[in-house]
Amino acid sequence: MKFEKKRSQSSTGISTASLPDIIFMLLLFFMVATTMREQEVFVKFSLPEAEAIQKIENKRLVSYVWIGDNEKIQVNDAIVQIKDIQSIMYKKRQEVPNVIVSLRADKNSSMGILMDIQQELRKAYCRRINYSAMVKS
Amino acid sequence: MLMKKKKDRGADIEAGSMADITFLLLLFFLVTTTIDVDTGIGMTLPEYQEDVEVAPISKDRMAAIMVNEAGQVLLGGEIIAIPQIKDNLKERIKSKLDLPANKKLIVSIKAERTTNYNMYIQTLDQVKGAYQEMKDELSRGIYGKEYRELSPDEQGPIKDKVRETISIAEPEKVGN
Repeated sequence: MKFEKKRSQSSTGISTASLPDIIFMLLLFFMVATTMREQEVFVKFSLPEAEAIQKIENKRLVSYVWIGDNEKIQVNDAIVQIKDIQSIMYKKRQEVPNVIVSLRADKNSSMGILMDIQQELRKAYCRRINYSAMVKS
Repeated sequence: MLMKKKKDRGADIEAGSMADITFLLLLFFLVTTTIDVDTGIGMTLPEYQEDVEVAPISKDRMAAIMVNEAGQVLLGGEIIAIPQIKDNLKERIKSKLDLPANKKLIVSIKAERTTNYNMYIQTLDQVKGAYQEMKDELSRGIYGKEYRELSPDEQGPIKDKVRETISIAEPEKVGN
């Protein structure tokens, strides 16, 4: 008897008053964790796989160079020639002094193009590089 | 009179749609977020010099790796299968652990212009792996933990002891 009485009195439904707060918390998390997808990639590439790889802790230091399957090179949001890389990267290094250049090269590209790019990077004093690779599954 | 009436109504902002608005914002950030971190093999390029003087290095300090265009890997002039590089180098790193810094192993990786990039990365991966396993082995012996779980202060001595030296050889001049 007692039990039945209690049940009939209590109102059903969950209070949604704190829902905005919960969503705000989620929102804040994603706002902090987000780095915008700022560049569109025009070249086609598939990364090589490796085991002894490291994560780059600070994403804001990274600047990307894409090397596509048909020897196309993309820096920032444009396809560039090898000889242009030096000036672009030199400017970048002035903005971010300890820039890490991540080379996202297609696994079937030849070393020649990578050597050329590395030479340009050395001339631009961008000496920290990263051969982008996927975890071997 | 009119003023008073307005005051009575209370100055509430309608908060019912707040959840919807924040939901929209949340969705926007969800879509634009890239969680994936960039992974790869980190290297430091040597400084650019016009004319390179080749400093003589004693032969037992040097591990010369050559990746040729056929995808064969030569370690010290002999053909070696890629998965064997790691163990081979680890032995040599281990034998030089207690030597001073200027006598430790130098790994030189050389490739030809026509070498496949994937082969080069696989080779580099093996070399990096050898150093990493060596560091792990040492840190497990001292602290009972993996190297990457150590604090930077603890990592320091091990890093000095192993001293990773990988040289990317100068590309040969083209032409002539």
